[in-house]
Order: sequence, then C-alpha cells, then structure tokens
Amino acid sequence: MNRVRMTLIVLSFACVVCFIFERPAHAYLDMGTGSFFLQVAIASFLGVLVTLKIYWRKLKKRLALIFSRKKDPPDNEV
Amino acid sequence: MKSESMHDSSFRDPSGFIFYRNNVLYRQVNRVFQDDFDLFIDSGLYAALANKKFLIPHEEVDVTPAVPSTSYKIIKPEIVPFVSYPYEWCFSQLKDAALMTLDIQKTALEYDMTLKDSSAYNVQFINGKPVFIDTLSFEKYVEGKPWVAYGQFCRHFLAPLALMSYRDVRLNQLLRIYIDGVPLDLASKLLPFSTRFKFSLLTNIHIHAGSRKHYSDKAIKPSGGRVSRMGLLGLIDNLESTVKKLRWEPGGTEWADYYSDTNYSPEAFERKKQVVAEFLDEIKPATAWDLGANTGEFSRIVSKKGIYTISSDTDPAAVERNYLHCKKNGTSNILPLLLDLTNPSPSLGWAGSERDSFIARGPADVVLALALLHHLAVSNNVPFPRIADFFSRICRSLIVEYIPKSDSQVRRLLATRKDIFSDYTREAFEKAFEKHFKISGSEKLRDSERVLYLYRRRS
Repeated sequence: MNRVRMTLIVLSFACVVCFIFERPAHAYLDMGTGSFFLQVAIASFLGVLVTLKIYWRKLKKRLALIFSRKKDPPDNEV
Repeated sequence: MKSESMHDSSFRDPSGFIFYRNNVLYRQVNRVFQDDFDLFIDSGLYAALANKKFLIPHEEVDVTPAVPSTSYKIIKPEIVPFVSYPYEWCFSQLKDAALMTLDIQKTALEYDMTLKDSSAYNVQFINGKPVFIDTLSFEKYVEGKPWVAYGQFCRHFLAPLALMSYRDVRLNQLLRIYIDGVPLDLASKLLPFSTRFKFSLLTNIHIHAGSRKHYSDKAIKPSGGRVSRMGLLGLIDNLESTVKKLRWEPGGTEWADYYSDTNYSPEAFERKKQVVAEFLDEIKPATAWDLGANTGEFSRIVSKKGIYTISSDTDPAAVERNYLHCKKNGTSNILPLLLDLTNPSPSLGWAGSERDSFIARGPADVVLALALLHHLAVSNNVPFPRIADFFSRICRSLIVEYIPKSDSQVRRLLATRKDIFSDYTREAFEKAFEKHFKISGSEKLRDSERVLYLYRRRS
C-alpha cells in the first residue's frame, strides 16, 4: 500500500515538473514570481490528488453498487 | 462631517475607489473595470454572495461621479458600523475571516470569476460575522491562470494564524507592523521547526518563503506556468483544511478569574450591573465602547439594550472568549476587539493615514470604564488628569468606576511595587474628571468602597 502511495506521489510530482506553458499573469496586485511558481507546483500536485480522489470515490460507489446488487436475493427467492 | 474626498485607504486598485460626499460613502467603479463588474452582477455571483451574507450589499445610485472622466458607475455600499483591523482581532476572528475569504473564492470560481485581492483589510465584522467589503475584488477567471491573491492570503491570514497557533498568540501584532501581511521569510524563521513536517505549512509558508527569495529578481516569463481549475480547487481546499486545523485555546490568564476574585459580594456585583443599566437608560446612547471589557459581561448588559458595543480588552484570551461567546449566542451588536489602551492602534499605512487610529474612529456616545482606572493609573503610571483628558476625547458620556487603594484588585497591583501614587484618591479623581465632565449621577456600591459615576462631557 505504501509503495502504491509513494508511486502516486512521485507521479504527481512528475506532473509538477511538466508545467503546461501558457499566458503571463497580469493584475494590479504583484503576485511575486516566487509565489507564482510555487502555486503552479502545489496546485499541479494537489490537482492530481483531487482528480484521484474524485475517481476513487466514483470507483468506490460503483463497487458498492455491484456488491450490494450481488447481496440482494433474486426476486423469486423472496 | 467629511467633505468629498477619495478615502485614504482606497488608491491601490485602479478598478475604482471609495469617496465621501456629504458624509455619505460611495464607491466609484471605473470604466477600466466595466466588463468585470458587469460579469460580477450578471453572472449572479453578487447575489449569491450577498445571499450568503458574505459580501456587503450595495445599491447603484445616480449621482455625479467623483472623477467623471474615468467613471462607469457609482454604487452606495451599506455602512460598516465600526471599522476594525486584523491586528485588533482575536485568533478566531482572524480564522473566521480567513475561512470566509476562501469560501468566497470557491463560490467565485463556480461563477467563472476569481478573487483578485485577498487582503484581510477587505473583511469587516458586521452583525457578529465577517463580511467582505470590497465589491471590486472580483475579476473574470481565465482557465489556467493562477490565483493572483495566493501570496497575499498566505501573508495576511495563514502566516499570522500559524504563528498565533504554533508560537505565540501575541504575534498577531506583527500585522500592525507589516501592513501587507507577515513576510513569509519572517514567519518561516519564527515558526517552530516541527511545522516543516506538516505538508501545508511546509509548502505554503516555508518553501513559499524560499521560493520568493529565490525568484526575487526574476520576472514571470510570458511562457510562465499554468494552474488547472482542479489544481486551484485543490489548493483552496488545502488552505481551507490547514486553516481549520489551526487552533488556539485561551488558557488561564492574569484576569481570566477576575469576576471570582473581587472583594465585593454577589449582591454588590448585581447592584453594579443595575446601576450601569440605569445610567444607560438615562443617557440612551446609540454606540458604546466598553474598554477593559474582559470577557464582555458588562458589554452584554449594554448590547441587550440595542446599543452597538465595542468590547475591547488587552488580553487575547479574554477577547477570544468574548468573541466565541457572542458567536455561540448569536449576539450581533457586540464587536470584541483586542486593544491595549496604554498604546491604542495608531493611524497606519501610506502617509500615516491608510488605517485610522482607534481614537479617530470615535467618539462613542458612551464609554464604560469599569474596573479599569487602577490599571491605567497604577500599572501604567498615568495621572488622573491625563486619563480624564483622554476619555473626554473619545466619548460624549462616561460611566466610570472608582476603585480605592484599599480594594483587593488595587492592592494586588501594588503588591510588587512601591506605592508612589499619593494622588490616587477619590478627591483627586473627582477633581480631574470634573474639569472635562459634568457629573450626572454616582452611587457607592454596597459592601464595597467602589463608586460608579455617570459623567457627561462639558460643551
């Protein structure tokens, strides 16, 4: 389990390295280059985690549905 | 009465500014911000935030703009009953303001907009709850664009809360020195080493501080980075759960057991409450400042009469308890504030006038100075004439309690020092106060030597 978690973390950080380049930031507030790059890094990592969490929840729901169906006795047995 | 002028705190954002005309507060929306403002209203975000009571409501008005050449619209926001600042808030007030700011950003994203400003000064307490007051802080969300106010959120909220929680609650006073929030390198140095083992504090404060230092002389290139909507939501969720986990428990403090350590009877204490209530009925104030309010016992007597009450104390634990009590009981017209009367909030910021001093936010209709005088006179060596002069500048009426040297509370203050206060007498007290005030009533509390006075300011 720990190895799976470690792999996920490494994969997530790999995504951080692979920034998708786009537009410059314009605002009256100077967000600071350091804050900018850090945010890109953290958000990329957390974005992966959020996505995994969403899919994990969906998977859990589906599995629960499958297992609850299996547990239900057929109508003619009632 | 204020003449027409751009408010001293409203100059950074070119989107608009607030101004006074005939003592009425307006906000000018500039044409440069027209698209974002229209989207803010038309998308339903304004209504959603106003319904949640997260945002100060406004009405569009047809008045001559303060600067017609740049004006798109003029709006009239609801008035904040008393403007307070983050360095005057207790731990839970700052925490609630932080959580509401994050909630607003999440709601904004649902409407394809984003907060471009997460300054703690954009939050005020109205009806006991934090409310966002800068209507022009919302802009269109561009997919892939990072949250421009992320660094500001960390400096204004996360860093001071973490310092208060992990190091010392008094470190919120750093906000008084650093008007744009606690510098992250300073927060990183002050926080215990163990906070480096907490993912969120490691990244949002320690690594963040290092990153700012590393990139301090480098610009963001046009090919900078991208933050997906999912990543942004993840970041906000992460900040939210971090702030929620930050705690501070008000432990026993010097004055926490104050009400059980007086040398008068429960009957005398009840009578004191009655006399205060009777004095209030006589002067019928609309606003009150209960100074040295401890946990707000007497502030509640005032507020129950429908009087808007500032309930201040210098003890962070007392203010915290007061705020939590108000929150739990839904008390809407008490604002607990952290204030050291011997060094009240000065005017701060650009040109020394961006944030008003505590005194400039007065005068109050009535000030309550109950069991306070001896702290000022004995602990802080302020002579009675100076105390009387100060009170005459901050209130129209004054309910003040004289506590003689024989009282256990004064004896406690004198226990560790030489008594150099030969002028600390009832006669000297009355003489000093009657120079600035007319006496309207007084009563010596039964079973005690304490005396309550009701004074009205002369002229």
